[in-house]
Amino acid sequence: MMLRALTTRLVLLFALLSLIVLSCVGTLLYQGLDTQLSLRDDAALVTRVDQIRTVLQDANTMDLIRQKPRLFENMMGNHEALLVLKFAGAAPLVEINPGHVPIPNLRPLPVGAPIELFAVHRMFDASGTPFSALAATVRTADPKGDLLITAGRVMTERSQLLEAYRIRIISMVGIGVLLSAIVALFFTRVGLRPLRRLAGQIGEIGITSLDTRLQRASAPVELVPLIDGFNVMLDRLTTGFAQMAQLSADMAHELRTPISNLLGQTEVALSQSRTGDYYEALLVSNFEEFQRLSRMMDSMLFLARSEQPDALIEPVTLDLADEFQRIADYFEGLLEERNLRLDLQGDGSVTADPILLRRALANLIANAIQYADADSVIILSSAQQADEVTLSVENHGPVIPQQQCERLFDRFYRADESRRGSAHASGLGLSIVRSIMALHHGRSSVTSASGITRFSLIFQKSYVG
Amino acid sequence: MMASSVVSTTPGRNHVRILVIEDEPKAGDYLQHGLTESGYVVDLARNGLDGLHLALESSYDAIVLDVMMPHMDGWQVIARLREKADTPVLFLSARGELQDRIKGLELGADDYLVKPFSFAELLARLRTLMRRGPSRQEETITIGDLQIDVLKRKVTRADVKLVLTNKEFALLQFFVTHQGEVLSRTLIASQVWDMNFDSDTNVVDVAVRRLRQKIDEPFEGPPLIHTVRGVGYRCELQT
Repeated sequence: MMLRALTTRLVLLFALLSLIVLSCVGTLLYQGLDTQLSLRDDAALVTRVDQIRTVLQDANTMDLIRQKPRLFENMMGNHEALLVLKFAGAAPLVEINPGHVPIPNLRPLPVGAPIELFAVHRMFDASGTPFSALAATVRTADPKGDLLITAGRVMTERSQLLEAYRIRIISMVGIGVLLSAIVALFFTRVGLRPLRRLAGQIGEIGITSLDTRLQRASAPVELVPLIDGFNVMLDRLTTGFAQMAQLSADMAHELRTPISNLLGQTEVALSQSRTGDYYEALLVSNFEEFQRLSRMMDSMLFLARSEQPDALIEPVTLDLADEFQRIADYFEGLLEERNLRLDLQGDGSVTADPILLRRALANLIANAIQYADADSVIILSSAQQADEVTLSVENHGPVIPQQQCERLFDRFYRADESRRGSAHASGLGLSIVRSIMALHHGRSSVTSASGITRFSLIFQKSYVG
Repeated sequence: MMASSVVSTTPGRNHVRILVIEDEPKAGDYLQHGLTESGYVVDLARNGLDGLHLALESSYDAIVLDVMMPHMDGWQVIARLREKADTPVLFLSARGELQDRIKGLELGADDYLVKPFSFAELLARLRTLMRRGPSRQEETITIGDLQIDVLKRKVTRADVKLVLTNKEFALLQFFVTHQGEVLSRTLIASQVWDMNFDSDTNVVDVAVRRLRQKIDEPFEGPPLIHTVRGVGYRCELQT
């Protein structure tokens, strides 16, 4: 659709505006001229009739007319003019009618009445040309009585003048509209130039140049919000891209250890003949590495899926005392082996997907057991607020510095580098916790101070899945 | 010594016939091999059309069906199969999305296993599929000199009363009702604690170790719980 182009719209708008304005002005001018000319012509007619009447009151004139009727013809000197002089009921004394206009039968002004503009009759002749006429009577010394004067004028010349004037105005309007459209086109082009420049800048931004930002300094005020919005979007994209690139790199590194083990030990084993026990041990070791890879892949898939906007979860209302007890049962042995005690505090309920809630809590408790001081207590508690339910896991252990706390939920991030490569620490446990909370439209947080580290899961009560 | 009430969940195993439909050569081979070694009579079809033909020609107790196959995929096979037979079907798929599972179950699959899976898990699922009717709940279970009173939740071995926690009891009960089967850690976590996800922790190992400390280590009799290296555990009275 052509009208979708801003330039087209603006040019059309300008052209339409100038058409309206110029047409109004032209019409007014034309009508003004028309009125002026009509008045002038009528006044001339009035003056003429008045003069003729005055002249005819002189008896000598009458004689003159009778002797030289052509005199008046010459006097009129104009083939637009009409003049008929006649006595009532008689043939015309003088008839000057070069245009062969049908002589109108007008009611004449009575003798002695002043001749004024309103007495002029405006008509049209057979060809549609305006035609003004005036009739008056004059008392003469002639015994035939009063003489009837009928004078008129066919406005051929005036019509031609006005016609020319109209054509001129219409062409002026046309030229004006065209000019303003051209000017509008030019100014729109110029006005939209910042937009094109912006599009050019945006078009140059690629994956490798995500750090470029649009310049707002020289931009028109109206474009500043757009530029700011776009720059903010670029910020987010840059961050997202960096995270994704980092993630791919991290993942490749994480895969490196198990794959290196698999390749190395299998290669060594195959380099010479071995006993059955050796092969069995190798297979068991390989099996463990494969399981590790499989778990890592599952976790990555879980994280990837949970980021899809249509990820499905099935929240139900869960009794927290039950869930806490289930977790306590699950970790019973592990806790006792480390001489740790798990304290369950709080009850009530929470709306969550059972499998995901258990997974999140299990990850947090496993984490707490890993880092808890020997012989200490781990507290699993719940707190009901007005519109939130907070589940917390608290352990006594080394304090995590603030800047590390912020990164704990990142994939493959380990506060404790020595655990990298340990078969049971994928570095994804807390990322999964964060994803689970995101799926529930809740959030996760961690605080660490005075020897106590506390992870919290905050569920929205209003969230019903 | 041997009591008559030993629970066997796999009666007449050598008559049980399973059809594996799998186009991937290595996967087909190891499935056939593993299932044969587990005592089943196994036929292997390497494409969907042959598989469907076999499934309709002879009778099987269960079918293991790969979803992703060229020409005729698992969806088409089961759709055609279900027009004529209701043989239990276990789907194998590399796609684990909920929509795929739902599609599989709607088409008439009885279970859905996502690759990679543990072979022990596959065996456990197949056994569940082929179990006709609810399994009989024994009041007392005896294995060797170990006796379990299921109702009173009492355990004795060599006439010594053993004190187990609730979950230790549940774990023991799960072991003895699945004697002879290799049980993976994931399966144990899911069945005993209802924790349905692969955990990075060694919770199951710890729980089994503690159970052994109570039921195996103090006694002279043969151990009942055995480690299957790398895979999981098996409860068996080895003579």
